[in-house]
Amino acid sequence: MTASTLPQRSVLRGIGVLHVAAVLVLAVVPFLLVFAISFGHKVEGAAWVWGFELTNYRRFFVGTDYPDSVSLLYLKYLWYSVWYALVAAILAVATAFPFVWLMTRGSRRAQTVWLVFFLCSLTFSEVFIVMGWDILMSNRSGLPMVFQETGLTDWLKENGGLDLLREWGLATPRNVRFKPSEFATILTLTYLVWPYAVILLYPPISKIEREVVEAARTMGASPFTVVRTVVMPMVRTPLVGAVLLLFVFLLGAYVTIAVFADPSKHTLSISVYEAVRGSTLNAPFGSAQAVVLLLTAAAVLVIGQRFLSAKTGGH
Amino acid sequence: MGKLLARAFMGFAALWIIFPILVVCLAALNGGRTMFFPPEDPTLARFAEFFLIEEIWVRSLQTSFVVAFSSAALAVLTAWPIAYALWRRNSRASKLVAGLASMPFALPPIVFGVGLVFFWGYLGALGDLWSGILSHTILFLALPLTTLSIGLQSIDRAHLDAAATMGASETTAFRTIILPQMMPFTASGFFFALVLSFNEFIVIFFVSASGYSTVTVQIFNSLRNGFTPTMAVGAITFLAISALVFSLIARFGNLPQLLGADTSKSS
Repeated sequence: MTASTLPQRSVLRGIGVLHVAAVLVLAVVPFLLVFAISFGHKVEGAAWVWGFELTNYRRFFVGTDYPDSVSLLYLKYLWYSVWYALVAAILAVATAFPFVWLMTRGSRRAQTVWLVFFLCSLTFSEVFIVMGWDILMSNRSGLPMVFQETGLTDWLKENGGLDLLREWGLATPRNVRFKPSEFATILTLTYLVWPYAVILLYPPISKIEREVVEAARTMGASPFTVVRTVVMPMVRTPLVGAVLLLFVFLLGAYVTIAVFADPSKHTLSISVYEAVRGSTLNAPFGSAQAVVLLLTAAAVLVIGQRFLSAKTGGH
Repeated sequence: MGKLLARAFMGFAALWIIFPILVVCLAALNGGRTMFFPPEDPTLARFAEFFLIEEIWVRSLQTSFVVAFSSAALAVLTAWPIAYALWRRNSRASKLVAGLASMPFALPPIVFGVGLVFFWGYLGALGDLWSGILSHTILFLALPLTTLSIGLQSIDRAHLDAAATMGASETTAFRTIILPQMMPFTASGFFFALVLSFNEFIVIFFVSASGYSTVTVQIFNSLRNGFTPTMAVGAITFLAISALVFSLIARFGNLPQLLGADTSKSS
């Protein structure tokens, strides 16, 4: 085959430019639209029109009737989005880290089997995972049933444990009750990202040289000292990085919240859906909420990066 | 002692991941309409319902297949030129394009979903199947982009130099050196995108706009009446597809390398 002729080349180049343009339009324009529409104006009883007003943001932060009255409803939704996502991300990384450490000590074959296992559970749809936990926590067939049958409920009643659980919203006068509750929400969210945590931590931890750790051990350092002075400095960046990525991922969780969280403790993703496609139908306001969600994600990523560079800058 | 503790911890972790999945799968055997665990009055009738009898499930499974296969194929075809340009030129522009193309995957999907509602709404394509397919193509473009980039980086440039000195054109070198080595990475990218598209919920929930439904969307829409054992059959089907796909990738590709682990010293 000889070098291609000039017209052929320019046709190829043209196709390349079109290709890149199409990809960029699809990947970027939707985000730009969300941003632009968040400044739009909602027409009562109709759709919305373009505009440049901050009404939607004002409604988000202080409510529509400001300054007569202040409503922090949407800030509360934002708070729950952040709270659930942060707790679940930290729990997942904290428990996945020792697991990955042990996993990378296994044979190559064992590691591959574990990876296949986690990739399967990782890709398992949120819808199915919620289904599983819903069965496990349902009053008629799940854990509450187990509590009842094994006599654990009676035992809890006798020593006042049930009253304590009722205070936490995890029981009725008759038995334990797990949904809706923050406990069920955070448990399911942690479960949702646990395999992600494993997959994210696997590369950095598999690169740690075991010889360094063993050298420290033979030189007389206790296991605790080894973890604190040798292992932690090596994995701090990936650990914090994993928490941040999982946090951003969990900010958009929808099904878990819709099924397990009490309506008074719903998150922004629920109210975004309600505004854009659901019952309230206010696209500009939904967009404004989505923008706030994105900015929150960005802010957390920036703060995290600062934290990391400050820590490593000292060396 | 330490070893035993380690084993116990790993076993516990495996159990924690498996248990809810197992519960869903076993719930498919329930004879009644309610999700009991352990299943009551076990039967396989739900499988027939899901695959053959109940039209909403048969149709949504078909839709899931169409969306997943077409979007994964399109994602691989779209990613190839971008990954190739990134590798060949490594210019700032190609890096920017690759970064922007991965953005939908990296940001909370609900925001991308909202954006796509507006985007397709403008084009009058909201609720059309093809717009749903394109949405998944872009959402999962980052996956083949990553596997292809990993693959291209592992190609020995000396081979290409040798081919060039012996008079092979770029096209020939591409066909005889690059393409054969890239097959496992292309396939992995395709299958990663395929499996994720099957299981994706929120974006397709937004862009389908009740025009059609995939299995995940159909399950969520039927949630009002509670989960039913027939849905659990869907869960088993999807799990089986994931297991098959990832076992194949692990068998024919290098899974630790694809996930970014250092495999140079342990093999």
